[in-house]
Amino acid sequence: MTRVALDLMGGDHAPAAVLDGALLVADEAPDVEAVLVGPPDVASRLLAERDQAGRFEVVAATEVVGMDEDPARAIRKKRDATVRVCARLVRDGQADAMVSVGSTGAALAAAVFTLGRLRGVSRPPLAVVVPAKNGPLVFLDAGATPDAGADLLAQYALAGSAFAAIRLGLPEPRVGLLTNGEEAGKGDAVRKAAYDRLSALPIRFIGNVEGRDVPIGGVADVIVTDGFTGNVLVKGLEGAASMLTEVLLAAMTSTPERKAAAKELLPAFGEATAHMSPDVLGGAVLLGVDGVVVVGHGASSARAVASCIGVAVQAVQEGLVPKISGVLGALKDEREAMA
Amino acid sequence: MTSEEVLDVVRGAVVTVLEVDPASVTRETSFADDLNADSLALVEIVEIVEETLAPKARAGFHIEDEDLDGLTTVGAAVDYAVARL
Repeated sequence: MTRVALDLMGGDHAPAAVLDGALLVADEAPDVEAVLVGPPDVASRLLAERDQAGRFEVVAATEVVGMDEDPARAIRKKRDATVRVCARLVRDGQADAMVSVGSTGAALAAAVFTLGRLRGVSRPPLAVVVPAKNGPLVFLDAGATPDAGADLLAQYALAGSAFAAIRLGLPEPRVGLLTNGEEAGKGDAVRKAAYDRLSALPIRFIGNVEGRDVPIGGVADVIVTDGFTGNVLVKGLEGAASMLTEVLLAAMTSTPERKAAAKELLPAFGEATAHMSPDVLGGAVLLGVDGVVVVGHGASSARAVASCIGVAVQAVQEGLVPKISGVLGALKDEREAMA
Repeated sequence: MTSEEVLDVVRGAVVTVLEVDPASVTRETSFADDLNADSLALVEIVEIVEETLAPKARAGFHIEDEDLDGLTTVGAAVDYAVARL
């Protein structure tokens, strides 16, 4: 049984979408136990409305970190914040993982303060597995730390390479640096400095990659960038995928003749677009904290929350944290010995 | 505790959080300008310092949130803590 602490109050559609996501998982994965973390009266009311009273363990937490608050200071001040209590459950061994679709900064701060960082990671990045056309790849940082210098990008490259080796089963993942041109020397000052840093790391650095390499794939197994660029790119891709789906559907059904012909194509169309949906992609894993933490999109639906829980369960089952810790710790030891 | 001992605690927290060379952390070091410490790093440092100093301090030792903005250098943080121990 894998126990996942769920931030009941995080996200644009919380608490209903979070609870409904937990119900989907309870129905579909009996070996996963969601623990609802939030105000007990809210949880009880929602469960009663769905005739599911007593279905989940509820752990009381009464404070919520607002999207307009400084996450670090809010987490410090609000010891009883839902996301902080989730992290505490993981730290104390009462849950195997935590999931929040609320404030990313709050989840990051709660994880760092409560679980602690692994050696060699000063800022844990959010890593997401992108189902690119030519095969899945790891993309990080999807939005944990907006300002990242070359040192941090080098840490992300190491952590991302270790994550891809575990998640994608690749012994030597190809690591690319996201910038505005493939040639060495492209990019701003941070990218240029990062290029040199990544070249010196004990990873398979293949050089610069461009934005199109994220959805198309096939060039790199790991694509590294700062959290600002990463978040903008991920949301841009989501918007583009959604726009393309809607435009194609509208064109395919714009006349009675097309609508009739589209009946044959719609199942294939649905199949092709389903794997790009945020509902199915799940959340991003916060790499480099001493526990499994998955952060989802603020606009997550119930299905997206369920997918986030799935990502967390996979990370627990594959032993992600001890494996990443081992790899990063060994590299840190090696570099310190050489210094 | 002496000012030097508190400096060691603050330096240790800075080194843990920001993974910098201990020798680079002096009383004059600025959290923002020299260490590029953001809000998360500052709060993490504060939490470590509080946790380390609390057993050796008067009951209720706490670094007030509203005072954080004034603690711009390592030396300022050390003096603040020493005055409240």
